[in-house]
Amino acid sequence: MGRLSIGKLWYIAYRDLGRNRRRSALTLVAVALGMGLLIVMSGLIEGAVGGSLDNSIRLQTGHLQVRDESYDEDELSLEWEDLLDDPHGLAAHIQTLHNVRVATPVLWASGMLTARDESVGVQVFGIDPLSAAYTSIRDALVAGEFLAPDDRSGILMGQRLADSMGLSVGQRIVLVVSTADQEPDEATFTIRSLYATGVASYDETRVFLPLSKLQAFTRTEGRASAIFILLHHQDEADAVAAALRAPEFGVLTWRDLNQVLLQSLEASDVFLDMMNLVVLAVVAVVIANTLLMAVFERTREMGILAALGMKGRQILLMFLLQAGTLGVAGIVLGSLLGGLGVAYLATVGLPIGEAAAAGEASNIITYGNILYARFSPSDAVSLSTMELLITLLASLYPAWFAARMEPIEALRAL
Amino acid sequence: MQVIQLQNVTRVYRIGEVETQALRGVTLDISDGEFAAIVGPSGSGKTTLLQLMGCLDRPSTGIVHINGQDVTRLKPNQRADLRKGTIGFVFQFFALIPGLTAYENIELPLLLTGTKARERRARVNELLDAVGLSERARHRPDQMSGGEQQRVAIARALATRPVLVLADEPTANLDTENGRQVMDIMQRLNEDTGTTFIFATHDPRVISFARRTIELRDGRVADNSRPA
Repeated sequence: MGRLSIGKLWYIAYRDLGRNRRRSALTLVAVALGMGLLIVMSGLIEGAVGGSLDNSIRLQTGHLQVRDESYDEDELSLEWEDLLDDPHGLAAHIQTLHNVRVATPVLWASGMLTARDESVGVQVFGIDPLSAAYTSIRDALVAGEFLAPDDRSGILMGQRLADSMGLSVGQRIVLVVSTADQEPDEATFTIRSLYATGVASYDETRVFLPLSKLQAFTRTEGRASAIFILLHHQDEADAVAAALRAPEFGVLTWRDLNQVLLQSLEASDVFLDMMNLVVLAVVAVVIANTLLMAVFERTREMGILAALGMKGRQILLMFLLQAGTLGVAGIVLGSLLGGLGVAYLATVGLPIGEAAAAGEASNIITYGNILYARFSPSDAVSLSTMELLITLLASLYPAWFAARMEPIEALRAL
Repeated sequence: MQVIQLQNVTRVYRIGEVETQALRGVTLDISDGEFAAIVGPSGSGKTTLLQLMGCLDRPSTGIVHINGQDVTRLKPNQRADLRKGTIGFVFQFFALIPGLTAYENIELPLLLTGTKARERRARVNELLDAVGLSERARHRPDQMSGGEQQRVAIARALATRPVLVLADEPTANLDTENGRQVMDIMQRLNEDTGTTFIFATHDPRVISFARRTIELRDGRVADNSRPA
């Protein structure tokens, strides 16, 4: 006895889809919309994740940081023994390493900024204004001129902070810092320029001084908190970190430096998985419903096919092929729709509003007030596979129902 | 040679607490090449008897032999295999697959038996010609008349050259002229190919075609007039 080939079974299944075109089309649209929605949601989350991480690396952590082994970031310690003694020499050495794009010393201090009888706590960054590491801040200038390395009285601050205190370029503020010997000291600075990165947590709390000025102000005598390093490629961080390891240094990669962000992104993955499950469940119900209706409508055909000698497993396979055809067509269409949606949101972006951007979560999730989607091919592949599997799983019951039908029961519908 | 042998066959249906005796001990032989009618009023057991002969169902007691093989205890897949190669069916409501053309409907049993493409093509065209529907090969059932659909169903029943064709009220939904055409075709094919045809009917015009009539009444054989 020969066998009915899959191709011929598929042909019969395919021809059946054309019989109730409206129902087949509606099911196709449901699968396609489900797929499109999954891809757009994944693109937005990917954009938020990737964008937050990029912002954090670009503006705050860099790909790598080299610090003194005893440095405690939480205390922003300025004690000499916690700082790097020869930061310029060390930065110059690191700059020569393969894969390093830029390495520059940075000094961090906590301070209190006062103007017009109002005071706010700020984080003070002592930076080399000429370093390429601060291109992002330079590009984000909205008023005034960027700091010069030898500027002894200029300060750069976020527009959001300036606005909240009613300040603008050219006005003066008083900055109080705790020095290396843990004595407070204060000085007056003139606002040289304002920046707006779009990331509220930066624009409200960070002020910049030239490194040499902050070193003098805090009496750290040419020392620095860390060497801030950007690499050509993010995935080379571990290799460069390994080359830099020495007993006197702590070398931290972007993963170490963004632990909180990465953890919260993992939590958002769980949320996304739940959303995906809901969408997939809806698609599954639609598919199961369509096929079950088809089985009921085709009871007599099942009887005829059984009378002609078609076996239960061939009938099961025929229904699975029908579901698979709808599934694959819906997934292809949905991927195109989703891809177009992601392309649009990657170019134009999704405004999430000032309030959301400045919300509590903005301390951790560091994207601006426009969220740009990113297409993730690996997500698209895994979501497509999942949707196809769900489609086939959902069709198992109707297919099984059809396959186990007794020929004489089915023929009674004649 | 006996194509069908039934020995004291009964068939009891149970629906809930209610028991219905559709067949009450039928013993019957059908020989190769017969053209026989099973007649009797509604509820006399005609369809049940055809279903047992067609291996679509199993008897409650008794033994059924098809082509010399005891089919009483065959598993569903074994019965499907037997039907595929040995038995053709023609049903009252034409029973074509709606999405497929006349050609494809006739081809279906040949696909199930794994017949090669060239052989399939030749056989389907031969059968379309035999039932006078070569011009209607590409038409779907909803584009054909009842008589044409039933002729396609006969062609399909004969596709795998079965030893036995079972037809349940084959003319019940046809007008007189189409009914006569269908019976003419079945009779001609029976004479030309030697295939055994058994049809259940209560239409006197159809019974007149039969060379043998088996009359059922209340699940028993009431009259079994053999050809002269």
